[in-house]
Amino acid sequence: MRRPGLRSRVAGGFAAGALLLAASIAVLSYELTRGSLLAERERTATRTTYFDATVVQAGLASEDADVVEVLRSLDSGAARMPVVYRDGTWFARTADAGVTDAIPVALQQLVNGGRPGVQRVRIGSGPALIFGIPLGTSSAFYEIHSLAELERTLRVLALVLALVAAGTTCAGAGLGWYATRHVLHPLTTVADAARGIAAGDLSARLDAARDPELERLTTSFNHMVDQLSQRLERDRRFAADVSHELRSPLQTLAAAASVLDRRREHLDPRTATAAGLLVAEVNRFSSLVADLLELARGDQPLETNPVDVTALARQACRARGLDEALVEECDHTVPTWHIDPRRFERVLGNLLDNAIRHGGGPVAVRLGDAPGIHYLEVDDDGPGITPQDRDTIFDRFVRGRGASARGDSDGTGLGLALVAQHVTAHSGHVFVTDRPGGGARFRVEIPERK
Amino acid sequence: MGQASVIGMTPTRREYDRSMTTAAQAGRGAAALGGEVARGRLGGDDVVMAAVLVIEDDDRIRVSLVMALEDEGYAARGAGTAEAGLAAQRAEPADAVLVDLMLPGIDGFECIRQLRREGEVPIVVVSARGDTHDVVAALEAGADDYVVKPVRVKELSARLRAVRRRVRAESPPMSVLLVGDLEIRPEAGEVLLKGQPVPVTRTEFRLLCELADHPGRVLSRAQLLERVWDYSFGDERIVDVHVGRLRQKVEDDPGSPQRLVTVRGMGYKLQR
Repeated sequence: MRRPGLRSRVAGGFAAGALLLAASIAVLSYELTRGSLLAERERTATRTTYFDATVVQAGLASEDADVVEVLRSLDSGAARMPVVYRDGTWFARTADAGVTDAIPVALQQLVNGGRPGVQRVRIGSGPALIFGIPLGTSSAFYEIHSLAELERTLRVLALVLALVAAGTTCAGAGLGWYATRHVLHPLTTVADAARGIAAGDLSARLDAARDPELERLTTSFNHMVDQLSQRLERDRRFAADVSHELRSPLQTLAAAASVLDRRREHLDPRTATAAGLLVAEVNRFSSLVADLLELARGDQPLETNPVDVTALARQACRARGLDEALVEECDHTVPTWHIDPRRFERVLGNLLDNAIRHGGGPVAVRLGDAPGIHYLEVDDDGPGITPQDRDTIFDRFVRGRGASARGDSDGTGLGLALVAQHVTAHSGHVFVTDRPGGGARFRVEIPERK
Repeated sequence: MGQASVIGMTPTRREYDRSMTTAAQAGRGAAALGGEVARGRLGGDDVVMAAVLVIEDDDRIRVSLVMALEDEGYAARGAGTAEAGLAAQRAEPADAVLVDLMLPGIDGFECIRQLRREGEVPIVVVSARGDTHDVVAALEAGADDYVVKPVRVKELSARLRAVRRRVRAESPPMSVLLVGDLEIRPEAGEVLLKGQPVPVTRTEFRLLCELADHPGRVLSRAQLLERVWDYSFGDERIVDVHVGRLRQKVEDDPGSPQRLVTVRGMGYKLQR
């Protein structure tokens, strides 16, 4: 499982802390409140019971007193239930056998022993307090006080406290999330700057930190970017110098070779052959240097424009003396693609040249749109590419087996590597399959962009 | 990007040319005959030779280019510095100038600016530098076209032919074109704005003719590149820079063009 992010973890920590704190406070408050409410209730009940017991004792003082009438004379309400035990008989205001059953034996024994007592019990309607007060030798007064109302109050209190604890936990998580946003803000800035640099913007620097804690990060980051841009600038200058140093002598060679080429038939056969070789190699060398320099500069950012690809493909065919009718539009192609026209022209051109050189010539150039992508297919009529060669064919300086067998060393061996590089620069990919009916099919897929 | 493909034909195109050359080796005699014809100036002056000035500080490149251009039928001369080149151009104006950008003393950009101040001679930059800012700076200085070394002589010759044309070869002879308050006289190579002559270079003139040929219609950069510069594929910035230069000359406020307008994502058009 993926480890949760720093932000989630901090927020989680804040939430756990808040939960712990809130829960402790809630439990403590509940217990304290409950204790004090119960004590208060018990005090009140005790007072009331003694008062009632006095009334009942007074009522029972006469010889022929009706116990039930005496009990009824008590203004006891629904919350308490007076019961009298007299000479082995229970008296209550109502004929409810359950009431006397509720009085525990231990309490009865205590009261029968001549001592008042109280016990907390659970009766049918909820928790209750039962007081027992001896009235002389053979009588006892019991009063049952229902605690249902108190219990309801406590339940509401518990609910409120639980809600408060939950709310505090959420607030803690939110606070953590909010706090990390501020703490992580400098990191976001660093990430943005790094992304900018990766995309080629070497001027991106972090603002000098106002926070002393962040100063080291800012300083080292900016230092790193300075170093990086210096190195890139050195590399760029080196590439420019190399290209200049290579291009200049090549220009002399190209011009001199052209002069030689024009006079070949005036030369003796040996010299003419040598001149021919020289001219061919100078041309190949020029292409090689151009391809190498192009490959070396492949990390340059794209310059995308809306491009009419069908027109571009037709032009590429025309420039190679191929029939424009090779170009087909498939699957309701949008004729305008957002691509770098120069790079895509090289992709097209190199695939066509590859088909001409190694594949017996292109037989179809297909342009189409599939969901989310544009695709280009170049079919040839050659021997096809064996499965084990399909990955390596896009490496540098790899030539088709057929080419080396024919002793054809005309290509630079960089054409398909450049195709792969330009396609990758468009965030796309290129691969080769068999064409139904023989030959190879090179397919380029480029994600659609608006 | 390969520098070679910045402005000039792409290497693939060059490879194609090369394969054509290889294919033409069978007909060697014919090619040789072409060479003989090109050198016909030695025999007489029945062929009017176009004079080309090559301003290049590298002796070997200069000598080989002059030789190769002579083979192509040009009367080529060389100059080793911008100063010498400017003096040669003043003394005996050439029909086209090739300029290297990195020159001792006055550099190529300044050389182009001075050439431009003194005349409308077509200028093609031949440089080993193909960086975007070099290309744009050279074009803005006034160059008509830009090729990156090493350039094949045939390609260079094609570039020279293109920039020297006043109007498109295949276009029918046009009478006076009137677009708004612009008057274009293809035969005379003149442009008049509200009756006043406007000095334009040949390339600017060809560009204006193409746009005036289809007044009110949008021409894409690729179309203009093909019709004005003979590129089947090339750098579209060359069009943008030339349109910018033309605006300096025909617009009242080049910052907000009224005549030569950009149609976003499509190209340019000349407002009726």
